[in-house]
Amino acid sequence: MTQQSDSVDGPLNWFPALMGWVLPGLGQVLLGHRQRGFRAMGGILGMFLAGVLVGGVDCVDRREDALWFYAQAGAGPVAFAADWANSALLKTGKVGRLIPSPPPNPRLPPPQITSFKTVTMSNEIGTLFCFTAGLMNIVVILDALRRQPANPKGWSA
Amino acid sequence: MSAVLAWVPFLQPMTVLGNGWWLLMVPLVFGVAVVHRAIQDPSMDGYWRRVLRLTVKANAVLGSLALAIYLFVYFVIPLLRAD
Repeated sequence: MTQQSDSVDGPLNWFPALMGWVLPGLGQVLLGHRQRGFRAMGGILGMFLAGVLVGGVDCVDRREDALWFYAQAGAGPVAFAADWANSALLKTGKVGRLIPSPPPNPRLPPPQITSFKTVTMSNEIGTLFCFTAGLMNIVVILDALRRQPANPKGWSA
Repeated sequence: MSAVLAWVPFLQPMTVLGNGWWLLMVPLVFGVAVVHRAIQDPSMDGYWRRVLRLTVKANAVLGSLALAIYLFVYFVIPLLRAD
């Protein structure tokens, strides 16, 4: 190991790590590593927004794609906002229109799905972008938890 | 053209990609490289150069794997005897 790192053993930075979930990269910014924080922030939010742009808000779905969402939620409130937009705009029919789909159980009424829902490759790639953004933010949060503050007196809010 | 005009950004999936969806591997790897280098490098000097290098390397490896799988599926498997 020839590279030096400024991550050392010491007290864990719980508050900056929590802030890093609220806004990706904010933990590093609070610890005084502004460049690192803003670059990580740009990368994570850029990936997440690119995912929603490519796949539409339907690629973040807390109920129908719960396993994907567990990792997407790592990107912070932006994932919950996208899920809310999906529920409030697409699933209610405020945008697009609702069309009946074949019921999984013939005794149940046919469920209504939005006309904007697709099974295209774009939707899957968008899901993957948001998933990767969430996972990368978990890595950034863990980094903020262990990183030594730039100021020896500690981090400052 | 009409597909582009009918597309509602952020609400509908992008339909213009067609068979070029796999090219999105490049921005995805770039995003990962931006975050990885931001937290991993001891210094921020030469940051973008290292991000670019990681992006090129990772895309080259992924592209090589895709090519190897393509050759295996389309050229090696047909040579296998079924009986």
